[in-house]
Amino acid sequence: MFAGYESLITTMALTGILAFSFHVVLMAGQLSLGQAGFASLGAYISTLVVPETPLFGGLSPVLVGIPVGMAVGATAAFVLGLPVMRLRGVFLAIATIAFAEVVRILMLNAEWTNGARGLRLERWVTPELAWFVLAILVYAFWRLGPSRIGRAFAAVREDEVAASSMGVDVARTRMTSFVASGAIAGLYGVLFAYFVRRIGPSDFGFSMMLDGLVVAVVGGFLVFFGPLLGSAFITMVPEVQRAAGLEAGWIHPFVTGALLLVVILLLPGGLSSIAGYLHGRLRRSPPPAPSTGPRAGNEPPELPELPAADTPVLTLNGVGKDYGGVHAVHDVDLELRAGEILGVIGPNGAGKTTLVNMISGHVAPTSGDGHVLGRKLGAAGGAHRVARAGVSRTFQHSKLFDRLSVLENTLVGTHLVSKPTFVRRLLWLPSARRDENRAVSQARRQVQRVGLADREHVPAAQLSYGDQRRLEIARALASHPSLLILDEPAAGMNRVEAAELSELIRSLAADGVTIMLIEHNVHMVLDTCTRVVVLNFGEVIASGPPQVVASDPQVIEAYLGSDETGREHV
Amino acid sequence: MLQQLANGLFAGSIYALFAIGFTLVFGILRHLNLAHAAIFTTGGFLSVDLISRQGLPIWLAFPLVMLAGGLIGLLLERIAFRPLAGRPDEHFAGLISSVAFGGMLIALVQARYGTEQQSISSEAFPNEVYTVAGVSISLAQLTTLGLALVLMLGLAWVVAATPLGRAMRAVAENARAARVLGINVERVTASTYALSSALGAMAGMLMVLNVGQGDLGMGLAIELTGFAVIILGGMGSLWGAMAAGLILGLAEALTIHHIGSSWKDVVAFGLLFAILLVRPQGLFGTIKAREV
Repeated sequence: MFAGYESLITTMALTGILAFSFHVVLMAGQLSLGQAGFASLGAYISTLVVPETPLFGGLSPVLVGIPVGMAVGATAAFVLGLPVMRLRGVFLAIATIAFAEVVRILMLNAEWTNGARGLRLERWVTPELAWFVLAILVYAFWRLGPSRIGRAFAAVREDEVAASSMGVDVARTRMTSFVASGAIAGLYGVLFAYFVRRIGPSDFGFSMMLDGLVVAVVGGFLVFFGPLLGSAFITMVPEVQRAAGLEAGWIHPFVTGALLLVVILLLPGGLSSIAGYLHGRLRRSPPPAPSTGPRAGNEPPELPELPAADTPVLTLNGVGKDYGGVHAVHDVDLELRAGEILGVIGPNGAGKTTLVNMISGHVAPTSGDGHVLGRKLGAAGGAHRVARAGVSRTFQHSKLFDRLSVLENTLVGTHLVSKPTFVRRLLWLPSARRDENRAVSQARRQVQRVGLADREHVPAAQLSYGDQRRLEIARALASHPSLLILDEPAAGMNRVEAAELSELIRSLAADGVTIMLIEHNVHMVLDTCTRVVVLNFGEVIASGPPQVVASDPQVIEAYLGSDETGREHV
Repeated sequence: MLQQLANGLFAGSIYALFAIGFTLVFGILRHLNLAHAAIFTTGGFLSVDLISRQGLPIWLAFPLVMLAGGLIGLLLERIAFRPLAGRPDEHFAGLISSVAFGGMLIALVQARYGTEQQSISSEAFPNEVYTVAGVSISLAQLTTLGLALVLMLGLAWVVAATPLGRAMRAVAENARAARVLGINVERVTASTYALSSALGAMAGMLMVLNVGQGDLGMGLAIELTGFAVIILGGMGSLWGAMAAGLILGLAEALTIHHIGSSWKDVVAFGLLFAILLVRPQGLFGTIKAREV
């Protein structure tokens, strides 16, 4: 069928499959490079377990080997992931490289692998089979992108802390991408073995890892078809060089290196950024805009009831946090009831943000105890569990998902109130589309509420500072929180914008959301809140209704200063 | 046994010299420079060229190889890293661009010397062997150990006590703040690469002097060992890299002696793995607080 080019065509598909095993970890922001080890284990174990002759009359060994190899790769990734998933960045990269090297050396020294001489196999992989498998992967990754788990991958890649406060289980999401990578690498190992017909441990070495990484990054890991483009590029370069007569020993690697350098320097986002640019909206195609009026699938998801007014939401008893002897927060007692708008003010370094970090589960208290929405402060499980209990927050320094659009950022916020859709999207079930539309509708409502409706598709990084603050609020609201904590939301806003924000906060409270507002803008806090707490040097120095606190002499001395300096904060 | 330990020490000093350049770039700039191994290989081939083909005396070849390494380092920084500064994918892209640069460099080495191994002429270096307490030590080995130690201590001195070193440490702490304070961050970055690469090329030359030949794959082998060394010593720690290089050399020698040479890398990576899990900051590194 592809006379003379079978090998080239098959290699291109296999390279694409290898690249997908890197793609899936890169899209979740993990620099994991152990794929050669997973591929090696998958290839060796499946070729030894599966008989060499067709089974059950005609089922070729490669078809039996594929599930075996994928299972082996996924299991190896899971077992390796248990200890190494604590590592990040370069440390994860080096640990996984070390794993692959250890596998290679073990295979080289083992009896059953036939050591360096390797194994001989029949060729069972045809170009059609290789491309069929690649097509399935491309399809799966296309369906993955706009699913709930796909968005969780992107969120973890862009900012782990923000992702966890939106209720994304970061550890689990990272592990999922790691295991998927292992399964795809195992798949690649089996196909590779039945294609090259002779495998040795050194086939699965450092250079295989570099090839896979290069193809995945050159193709671009932000778009589902990146590995396809990367593999076409890497496979065709030598062919073009051969056709052009440029294949003298050193010229080939030199030109390949130079082209690689050009692509990486000139095309952030890889080759697929060209394709994405040409196709305009293709790379971030949002679900269709909802038509006006209620229609099936356009109503927001079913949201749980918020706590009844006046039930306790937050109680702190003598909570404190020490950083190596420095009392960031010291012996704070606080109670917050549903429906309140609590303002927390205090000079820089008073411990406001540390207090927020303890409530949202990002920092464990070192003394005292407290409960937020039935969860003990500092309990095991991490920030996403606190988010699941109903706490949502913004950050003093914006922690948006920079490369995602306004709507996509807010969609991550719907993580806790939407359902997993990836498997149903694979099967093209109508209920998946319905659930996705519900999530979009929930997200869009919040975007409209903060006044960003006309900037839905703008990447977060390109928003003005004030709009970024607003987007943080929209994202936090999308999870339908019982307790919303705003950490200096008005910083950088002018008087009009701050007044609008104050209006928004009061309307949220009217809807039953309990609010904790940390702010430097004292007048805004006094205007907005039903109760105010003043912190100084990590301790509560005053608490009560705004008018009472504002006239407390201790507060005036510690923080407000004279009336004049108070106004400077406005 | 003692002989094995001595051999391990000499090999370890080359690992340490290779790794100290690797870790310098990481410690100051947070770049994982995958072209470092290619520079090592280039240094090795260049020294064969200068000594065996051009007939230069060895004491002249040392500074020339270092100079060439430094120039390649400047080029590397200019071509593969500087254009990426500030991009959101700087981290991944830097890995790839350094792989690409390394690949081009190796291609150029191949263009000049071919794919064959290059042997250094035996008369290039006086073939003296001393015997101390039953352990035979060649002059080449002694020179390697001495030079490696002098260069590493020199680097540590530069970083600790010179204005350039102070600027480097400032950039490592916070590049933006360093720029605000008037430090020329670009120049510090370029100098870091030049120093790192000069040491990398020198490590390649010492390797060739010790084994008598260079081949195109020599960089790949030491790159993996280099990873183990910098993790063991703590990413970015100069003293750590120095100590860990020597420890790894000794550990390898002991493994070869007791278990067999085919297992020596398992020990290196097993050690690396254990360290990463128990003490990710390395034996000598310190934890940096993570910002929430």
